[in-house]
Amino acid sequence: MSRKENALDLAKFIDKGVRVKLSGGREVEGTLKGYDQLLNLVLDETVEYLRDKEDTLRITNDARPLGLVVCRGTAVMMVSPTAGTEELAQNPFLQEDGA
Amino acid sequence: MLPLLLLKTAQKHPVLVELKNGETYNGHMVQCDSWMNVHLREVICTSKDGDRFWRIPETYIRGNTIKYLRVPDEVIDKVKEEDYKRDEKRPAMARGRGRGRGPGGRGDGQSGGRGGAPGRGGRGRG
Amino acid sequence: MGTNVGLAPMVDSTISVITNDGRVIVGILRGYDQATNLILDECHERVYSSKTGVEQVVLGGLHIVRGDNIAVVGEVDDEIDQGLNLSATRAAPLSPVQH
Repeated sequence: MSRKENALDLAKFIDKGVRVKLSGGREVEGTLKGYDQLLNLVLDETVEYLRDKEDTLRITNDARPLGLVVCRGTAVMMVSPTAGTEELAQNPFLQEDGA
Repeated sequence: MLPLLLLKTAQKHPVLVELKNGETYNGHMVQCDSWMNVHLREVICTSKDGDRFWRIPETYIRGNTIKYLRVPDEVIDKVKEEDYKRDEKRPAMARGRGRGRGPGGRGDGQSGGRGGAPGRGGRGRG
Repeated sequence: MGTNVGLAPMVDSTISVITNDGRVIVGILRGYDQATNLILDECHERVYSSKTGVEQVVLGGLHIVRGDNIAVVGEVDDEIDQGLNLSATRAAPLSPVQH
């Protein structure tokens, strides 16, 4: 098997909005300004989406501004573009079954 | 068979990924690497409790956050085919020499692995 | 070679896996690697309960289980296994591994 041929080319997300999930459960959204092979990320105009007090698994729409941040690569679990991401009102798998 | 080989063969197939935090991601795997990092397209993300859903055009998931992946059944047959093709391509002499390396670990392991493959095929998966 | 001799004889036979989140998965081992990542075929989960019998949940198909998430791998003797009366088996569910 080859070396770390980075499965995702982050170059196309530069200056675009990305959502990042971090290990431990935090979620942030910001403009990707830079990155490296270790998946360390530089995000600008970052906001953190806060979690429900009672249910820490649940991400709310409450946000707090963080500004310019560096996300450490080892803590990054998931990266996806903000554009085109939407929460669905209903279970899409049930729809498929019904069709 | 190596799990990462199976994963590599599952590229372009629909897969389900469950993360350690319980979230699941359903999507087409564009690419993966030897760290099990995966790049998915046309993803549906489901929360741990299975009560919230998101549609995400593409996502990159770090390998070490994965709990398990589901891949389509036919992928395992594909791995075997490719295994077989690779075997065919190798010149007979090289194969002979490989096995001839004798009692040493490598030669043994290889011939053992090969021997297994046809048997598994004979079991007749769908 | 050597370190994982333990799993080699189990390939293509039924095994039972206990994962870090306390699930019990039974399936056919198709492959493994140094990190104890496993390929499991024809999987089902056995959900234990102290009140009702064991519930078998068919997970179906091929799974790649990451080694990080595996606590125990056990051989299953198909003959003995088929003789078990799971619906009469009562057992408390396992709790997740504490890190």
